[in-house]
Amino acid sequence: MHNVTDYADLVEAVLAKAAREADEAEVYLSVSDHVSLELRRSQVGEAEKAVGWALGIRTITDGHIGASMTMSPARWEDCLAAALASGRIADPQAWGGLPEPVQFSRETDVFDSSLVPDADTATDLITALCGAAEGGEAEIAGGGVSLGRGSALIANTHGIFYTREATSASASLEVINGTSTGYEFDHVTHLGDLNTERVAEEAVFLADYWAGAGDVDSCTADIILTPTALSQLIGGILMPALSGRNVHAGRSYLADKKGEPCMDPSFVLYDDPYVGNGATRWDADGVATRRLDFIGDGTVQSFAYDLRTAYRYGQTSTGSAVRSGAGGAPEIGVHCLKLDARRDDVRQEKAISAHGLIGAHTANTITGDFSVELSNAAWVEDGEYGAPIRSAMLSGNLFAMLADIAGAGEEKREIGRMTLPEVRFKNLHVIGK
Amino acid sequence: MATEEPRYYDLRHLVGTSTHIDIENGTIEAAGQSFADTAIVRALGAAGWGMVIIDNFSEVGDSGLKRAVADALALSQATGERVELADVQTGVLPVPAIKEDPREVSLEEKTELLASIESATRLPGIVNTRARYIESEGTVRFMDSSGNEYHYESLRSGYSILAVAGRGGEMQMARESEHAITGLNMRHKEQKGREAAERALLLLDAAPARGGTMHAILDPELAGVFAHEAIGHASEGDLVKEGVSVLKGMTGQQIASPVVTVVDDPTLPEFGFMPVDAEGCAVKRTEIIRDGVLKNYLHSRETLAAVGSGEAGHARAEGSSSPIVRMSNTFIENGDATMDELLEGCKTGILLKGSRGGQVDPGRGVFQFNAEYGYLIEDGEQRGMVRDVSLSGDILSTMHNIALCGTDRKMTPGYCGKGGQSVPVTDGSPHLLLKRAVVGGRHA
Repeated sequence: MHNVTDYADLVEAVLAKAAREADEAEVYLSVSDHVSLELRRSQVGEAEKAVGWALGIRTITDGHIGASMTMSPARWEDCLAAALASGRIADPQAWGGLPEPVQFSRETDVFDSSLVPDADTATDLITALCGAAEGGEAEIAGGGVSLGRGSALIANTHGIFYTREATSASASLEVINGTSTGYEFDHVTHLGDLNTERVAEEAVFLADYWAGAGDVDSCTADIILTPTALSQLIGGILMPALSGRNVHAGRSYLADKKGEPCMDPSFVLYDDPYVGNGATRWDADGVATRRLDFIGDGTVQSFAYDLRTAYRYGQTSTGSAVRSGAGGAPEIGVHCLKLDARRDDVRQEKAISAHGLIGAHTANTITGDFSVELSNAAWVEDGEYGAPIRSAMLSGNLFAMLADIAGAGEEKREIGRMTLPEVRFKNLHVIGK
Repeated sequence: MATEEPRYYDLRHLVGTSTHIDIENGTIEAAGQSFADTAIVRALGAAGWGMVIIDNFSEVGDSGLKRAVADALALSQATGERVELADVQTGVLPVPAIKEDPREVSLEEKTELLASIESATRLPGIVNTRARYIESEGTVRFMDSSGNEYHYESLRSGYSILAVAGRGGEMQMARESEHAITGLNMRHKEQKGREAAERALLLLDAAPARGGTMHAILDPELAGVFAHEAIGHASEGDLVKEGVSVLKGMTGQQIASPVVTVVDDPTLPEFGFMPVDAEGCAVKRTEIIRDGVLKNYLHSRETLAAVGSGEAGHARAEGSSSPIVRMSNTFIENGDATMDELLEGCKTGILLKGSRGGQVDPGRGVFQFNAEYGYLIEDGEQRGMVRDVSLSGDILSTMHNIALCGTDRKMTPGYCGKGGQSVPVTDGSPHLLLKRAVVGGRHA
């Protein structure tokens, strides 16, 4: 199992040379090992091991920021040259320097030393997953298990040298009963937290319960979006609107709404970078992370900034840089987003609940307007599922919906980098068949 | 029981450079290059596939390949499904000629060309412009234990431009993009920037669409997405094999209106072109539907052996990911209806234009996709512009509701996601008349 610390000499060599050719430089290195098993119906059809290695270099000279990335240790000098060339073309911007080292007072908990990505452990998990799917009518169509262990390093010419180790375990299952499909998944950092039984039982329930689904007439109804469904709209529409870059560039619906009540007074949204799957003490710029309150009391309180956006617009970095931009450069994102609203028994009064959305990525990311096909939707009342709905389309505007929240469920679920409950929205337009 | 030697193994190794340029509101945000070197080695053991993906593969050499094959074989012991591979034709097509090689144009000049398009987008009323260029070039080496070995060059490039119009707190956006395998395509394209800006401004005055069931005319771009989402995905052999396609067991049946013929053709010199597929199979034109009858599924060697009824040569992969069955250049063939006949056939309904993408659940047979904008049709004539309009439906019933196909097929490049992998594709169609379409909009 390789680790970023195996490459400390390489990192020092890159920084030493870069320091001679640029005002400042930064190295980001990640290495990873993954093992995954993939189901073809109820048998494992593929077993895969992936060994990842990636080096990103960023240079800054007179406000010109350049970046490049390579998968080959031997090509680090080409990578550095490409970063410097990139910086010469990019327009200069206001720049206050890469961060200095700090002492962290807290630790994160995203590394499970007992988690080793090997085929035997993965086989045990997938056997448990398939076993838990027996008993229903739905048959397994696909799914899989993945185990990962990786480390990342950030170092810069100001003396930062931070490392982070993380592990991951995930399971997913797709089942089908006639033409009724059910899909569920789980993703955790500690092996003991992976709940294959829940994944299997929930997927089978979704396929079996909806096997007898009927049509629904077009109507206006309260809609309950489960965490799975809601996370798609939050990630695709709301989070881009809270990015400082989009706000200042004129691409955010929320740009002029900071400090103004514009959402339900109980709606809360914040990034707690120390608790969750994406937990980290430092962001992709090497800035110490901290809690960031996006929305509280129905009011936008903060936008997210990485270092370059903050310097450009006279703001302070919120520690929100993540490593997902083109060429491995940092860009604005979130680490462990938490969403909440007024707790209520959201399934008591009659409403339509939807477990998934088809086509959420086609939403108008600027206006918040969307139109999606509901997946595993059903009437609910008195806390119970009622008639399952075979097919229905939901149209709405996410920003308007967030201003008219009927309540949030008690139970929260972590989906990717978000932790959120199911949320009930008032009076939405459903187009039936 | 484990085998000591693999029944089969192959290697696909990619070495390449990607270039990106990002310009926003007149500022060059980034312009740079990155380097990839990654490979996948697959080995077929007694049962199924073992696979090893290795970054920085150039440095491991022949001994590294042997070790990777041994690792992949060892991993295959964790599989239970006995995988068989169909015998297929092998061979590689020549890569289409490049008109202007972007590798011979400096990064500075490409940045200037993109900046020129971005600049043309900044019309009065436009509050944000963002232009992006992406280029990926490299060599692909494929070899397998059957003695096949191919090397080919891969080059794709293109740009996109986004314009956001704003007025009194309202914002609307429009996008144009062009991607190609035939070389640099950014010269004299300022008009594309202006078109995006003008449409964003027009959308400020467009009314929200009214949802409901109505007749719809789909423009070639959106109809191409329909061909891809509603038909193409459901014909993918892996989904058929796993039982999650509504088209399972339906070859030879009339599943669509007789005016509908749908083809996937990786040999066309379009954005989804492949000289050979990701497991070394020769590629060829595959008719999925002919005159409304389901003829063929799209296959890999494995799914062809397991399912039959179709053609291999449709395995694709993003980078060094494992090959899966994918579309390439997917289109509905031209019919014989004029635009006047389409409008007359529609009478009252909606014309849907452009695409913001789509998605399908092939097991349920349900699809959804979003137009960029549309026009109401009243008394067979095109009327006012509407925005935020989408279409969803049931694949099998919708296929029978295609009443007319136009004569103006156009191909539109894009990217398709499946199994966490994104690959370049082209979708195409003439204008279509779709009866009793379920159209989404915020107002009843």
